[in-house]
Amino acid sequence: MIDHRRENRSQSIADAVPHLDIADSVRAFAIQRGDYYARTMTRIQSHAGFVAIFNWGAAIFGPVWAAARGLWGLFWCFAILELMALVQLSQGLFSDLGAVPRARAERLEENYERVLARVQAARDRGDETGADALARNADRLQAALEKALDQAQEAAAAGVELVIFGLFAFVLIKGIEGISANIAYEKRYSRWRADKRVRAGFQWTGAAIGAGFVALVYSIALYGFTVAEPAAFVRTFPVEKIYYEEIAASIDRAFDLATIQFGVFFNGIALGIRFLLDGLEVIFVQTPWPVVMVAITLFAWRLAGPRVAVFTVTALAYIALLGFWEKAMETVSLLGAASFLCVVIGMPLGVWFARSERAYAVARPVLDLMQTLPSFVYLIPIIAFFGTGKPPGILASMVFGLPPIIRLTTLGLREVPKDVIEASRAFGATHWQTLTGVEMPLALPSIMTGINQTILMCLSLVVIAALIDAKGLGYDILVALQYAAKGQGILAGFAILFCAVVIDRLVQGGIKRGKGPR
Amino acid sequence: MGANRTQGATSDAPAIDLTHSIAEFVGVRASFYVVRFNLLLAGQNRWRVNCAALIFGPLWAAARGLWAFFYLFVILELVAWVQIGRGLWGDLGADKLSEAARLQAKADQLMAEATRGDVSAQLLLESAANLSHAAENARIAAEAAADGATTYLLVGLLLLGLFKLMAGLWADRVYERQYTQWRVNKRVPSGFDLYRLASGCALLLFAFSLTLYRFTFSQPDERIMAVPVPSAYHTRTANLLEEYFDRTAAAGAGLFDSITGATETVLNAIEAVFVDTPWPVIAVFFLLAAWRFAGGRVAIFTGAALTYMGFLGLWEKSMLTLALVSSAAIFCVLMGIPLGIWCARSKRVYAVVQPVLDLMQTMPAFVYLIPIIAFFGTGKVPGILATIVFSMPPVIRLTALGLNQVPKDVVEAARAFGATQWQLMKGIELPLAAPAIMTGVNQTILMCLSMVVIASLIGARGLGQEVLVALQFVAKGQGILAGLAILCCAMVLDRIVQGRFRREEGT
Amino acid sequence: MRDIAIKLEGVWKIFGERAENAMAAVAEEGLTKSEVLARFGAVIGIADVSFDVRQGEIFCIMGLSGSGKSTLIRHINRLIEPTAGRVEVLGQDVMRLSEPELRAMRSEKIGMVFQHMALLPHRSVRDNVAYPLEIRGEPKGRRWEISQYVLSLVGLDGFEDRFPSELSGGMQQRVGLARALASDPEVLLMDEPFSALDPLIRRQLQDQFVTLSEQLHKTTLFITHDLDEAIRLGTRIAIMKDGRIVQIGTPEEIVTNPADDYVRDFVQDISKLKLVFAHTIMEPLQGDAVEKFAQSPRVSEDSDLDHLVDVAITTPHPLVITDAEGKDIGVVSKDRLLRGIQGGK
Repeated sequence: MIDHRRENRSQSIADAVPHLDIADSVRAFAIQRGDYYARTMTRIQSHAGFVAIFNWGAAIFGPVWAAARGLWGLFWCFAILELMALVQLSQGLFSDLGAVPRARAERLEENYERVLARVQAARDRGDETGADALARNADRLQAALEKALDQAQEAAAAGVELVIFGLFAFVLIKGIEGISANIAYEKRYSRWRADKRVRAGFQWTGAAIGAGFVALVYSIALYGFTVAEPAAFVRTFPVEKIYYEEIAASIDRAFDLATIQFGVFFNGIALGIRFLLDGLEVIFVQTPWPVVMVAITLFAWRLAGPRVAVFTVTALAYIALLGFWEKAMETVSLLGAASFLCVVIGMPLGVWFARSERAYAVARPVLDLMQTLPSFVYLIPIIAFFGTGKPPGILASMVFGLPPIIRLTTLGLREVPKDVIEASRAFGATHWQTLTGVEMPLALPSIMTGINQTILMCLSLVVIAALIDAKGLGYDILVALQYAAKGQGILAGFAILFCAVVIDRLVQGGIKRGKGPR
Repeated sequence: MGANRTQGATSDAPAIDLTHSIAEFVGVRASFYVVRFNLLLAGQNRWRVNCAALIFGPLWAAARGLWAFFYLFVILELVAWVQIGRGLWGDLGADKLSEAARLQAKADQLMAEATRGDVSAQLLLESAANLSHAAENARIAAEAAADGATTYLLVGLLLLGLFKLMAGLWADRVYERQYTQWRVNKRVPSGFDLYRLASGCALLLFAFSLTLYRFTFSQPDERIMAVPVPSAYHTRTANLLEEYFDRTAAAGAGLFDSITGATETVLNAIEAVFVDTPWPVIAVFFLLAAWRFAGGRVAIFTGAALTYMGFLGLWEKSMLTLALVSSAAIFCVLMGIPLGIWCARSKRVYAVVQPVLDLMQTMPAFVYLIPIIAFFGTGKVPGILATIVFSMPPVIRLTALGLNQVPKDVVEAARAFGATQWQLMKGIELPLAAPAIMTGVNQTILMCLSMVVIASLIGARGLGQEVLVALQFVAKGQGILAGLAILCCAMVLDRIVQGRFRREEGT
Repeated sequence: MRDIAIKLEGVWKIFGERAENAMAAVAEEGLTKSEVLARFGAVIGIADVSFDVRQGEIFCIMGLSGSGKSTLIRHINRLIEPTAGRVEVLGQDVMRLSEPELRAMRSEKIGMVFQHMALLPHRSVRDNVAYPLEIRGEPKGRRWEISQYVLSLVGLDGFEDRFPSELSGGMQQRVGLARALASDPEVLLMDEPFSALDPLIRRQLQDQFVTLSEQLHKTTLFITHDLDEAIRLGTRIAIMKDGRIVQIGTPEEIVTNPADDYVRDFVQDISKLKLVFAHTIMEPLQGDAVEKFAQSPRVSEDSDLDHLVDVAITTPHPLVITDAEGKDIGVVSKDRLLRGIQGGK
């Protein structure tokens, strides 16, 4: 393969290494001013440490140079730094820094003269006491006036400081620009060697965009910061509040109309949820507490073992001893209703999305959105249609809790090995038989994880739903927040925490048991 | 073998005798279940009543170790028994009757006053008449309720019969399934166990007696209704905690104030940049950033979002929100990435941190606010602190994950060539973990945004406040508009960060 | 000049929480592997390994997976700390080196090639090869020059500006080799470098590696699970089993004279044609038999069986073996030749 090299039996690679000239390739990269960059980059590459070579082009044109050379990261840094320095500079140079105190001084002077005139008038009338009082006033005004004038002078003097500081900063930044430019550009060149998509040469579009940005932003920013009273449209968005109010009002109207038009529909949903919730509340709230407590403990023990059972007892004891029992059970009922509905609705949807690529493509952005949105935002349309109270709280929790179960059901079903499904089909199983006998059992761990997440999501929203009058433990927290009652809040917070942990452990115990001996 | 080659392979499969195995599983009453199971296995006689299960219901299930069956029928039968109990012993009209008595007493009192002959006698008489009318109504309602007792009794009996029948019909099938499971896994309970029967009995007795008592009597013991704990426990503990917090806050005032001060400085600086800079500068900046990092489509979307904020007069509030989110995100990243690195380095640290992170993700966001207000009071700085605490887990978790996922052999290669820890971290581990870390940063930013509204409960300003006010006054339009603005912020930030991440991945 | 490049003396490695105690117990009581596992919950990785590697030789360590060979090679540059024993590289006791000295040794004296390449996916081929130089703090220009040259040595001219993922497996491993050579180390550690490759590519790379080592004369410690490979490349071979070295010798010694049944099993299927030489299988000539074998062809004593077969096909007579001076010293009948090919039964 490389037999021809046999004769030069060199022991040391280091001695055999031929010189490598990068000049041509740098020229191909830099295009404009190729010779200059070939020289500088060769120098940078031949030293291990920091090499300072001043690039005048970069120093003078700053961000525009960076933009033209495609170094956008550098462009942002340069532009922002320069802008900060320039704002200082121009404030010092053009801005009437003493304007505000001077205006006050003028106002004070007018007052002072008026008072002086009145003193004179009082003296003329022979009202000595009145004149004295007025004169004292006048003295006070004079003192204030002098102070204001001092301030104005000081501010004007500070202008010089600002100019010096700004100038110094500007020059410093320019210096940094000049020195860092070649180093950054050499890095870019190294990357270009490996990745030819990196833009080479001097790009006019980049330069134009950079220059445009710099011109626009610098001018507006300088104008905004320098002129004492800039035109209003620079400071605030030049739009009347009317738009906002009109649109808000029309949305209100639309909601009201929809609520009336489809009242039966919304009421029906609310009624259905209310029915489910009532059933759960009978079980959790109205059943004597010792029964519920024993049942939950037993459940924990059977599902997740003695350690979790002990923890559950502790948590329940805490809740009961601090008088949170009824509220906690109310929360659990809300949570139960919400997560039950989530599972009942979410799992079939998940199965559907696993089957139909198109449905999933439509649903995925919606699911993403549902999880991205801050949870409070859901509450608004829901109170618009359903009013406040417990059923709307459950609905809001459902919006938040549905995505995990849908997503993980779909995921679980998609991850079922294709060959197992194929085998099931090959034996003549129907779709339904394949789904219930093969796919569901194999997807079960994933689905259970989804259920767990759904329950926790629902819990976090059930608590928040206290804001729209859904009661429960969240209400205590809300009250504590409003009155800064920390002790109470912490106690209620722990109650919620215990609920969350107990539920989490129970469901996870269920998952482990579901996996069983397999 | 050779002779019946033409026959199917399965048709001459010899019958297997399960008698011994079933008997071993069943224990008591083996012969009965052998017959039943064989019938079931042969696919015949699907619905036969199991008398033991029919009569004893849950107790049978407990003795046989069918706990799911046990729980289900305990609840069902309890429902039926409650109805029966109400029908038999329940003083159903009691509530109404006592109400009637109260009303009547009041009416009598008024009557007495009226007869004393005051000026307003006429008025009193009218009231008294009204009251006695109401009392009469209540009495009638009470009678009607008392008549309903029979209905309750009937419904209860019917339900009970139904549930019993269900239990009887279902029992064999459930038990047979348990047998099949037991064959694979010998830990599945088998046989007839007296200990299980006893515990089932105890449970049943306990639940039935208390529940029947609660639902049957019109005025059951208060101690059954609510946990008999004096409310003083709660108040006293709360007060103690309050004192403790106050003392800690006072003792650590220096620390808390300096945290507050530092956070406020950063927040104010960022707020000044977002709010005080003329809006065209900010807008151009966002557009250009979106275009450079994420391409033309995202830039157009960003433009639309910014226009929306501007035209609806939500510009300043949006900028406040963005300032809050950016400063929270900056703190999260600055603290989260080193923490993540530490977690990846030290197994012990990770073992401590992981449950805390899990807990933080389990907890409703609301709850974070309490300790924060305890130590830092209310206002925008505590708001941002709560946001930081809430949003930090993803970046820690994903940094640790990313670093742990760096291929071991690559790390070993770097060490074999003499790399120092720092060279290893900077040149190899961080670049390879970058995608995971960026995902974490993105999630953190989104969590910050979702916390913005909640933080406004303790005084953070911006769009969150707007939404909160809308919620409190049911101002739907206002709320929807502000909510959309939050959505716009979230999507713009998400797309820009993701775009940046994808660009890095591309090279 | 030193003659011995790497020297291992009684190296032990025991994995587990209580490795020190286990080591002490092993030293005193001579426990077996299973006893150590039962008593200390510790696993013996390397047990009492000693050998020398001479300057410029290719020393192969052959063993099946789990025999501890990959653990052993990591002791040389102290990626793994031995529990007991002494490791000497280029006359320096590796265990005595401070952290910076160790790093200096790793980046200057020892190059390493890995089974799964372990290339840095986020760097170009050039930067991968230059990595050891970068760690050493060489300026970029020098790094580029050296990496370009080393890449040309392994036949990858023109691939400098690609990313590893753009290359085939064989090419990636050549990059790995180039990276190990870039720092111009005196010792090369190769941890099953070719075993993840297709047979054809493996063969190519082996050939290339032989050529390269003739050119560069690097002391090489080469790990493999493939005896064919060990024989093809190795100046000497050590065979490992369960953390111990069973036999050390030249390929011919191993093939013709296996130390125990374990080695014999391995050697059985190895073709002897190129490994066994005439003097090993010949029957020494007694007295004057020149006339008896007058028509027999004459073959030199250091020709291999392959050559003997070639000659034997052309004649019906047995072959006469001559020494360096052309004197007849032995005879190989066809039967004997066939037995020789079988492995001297």
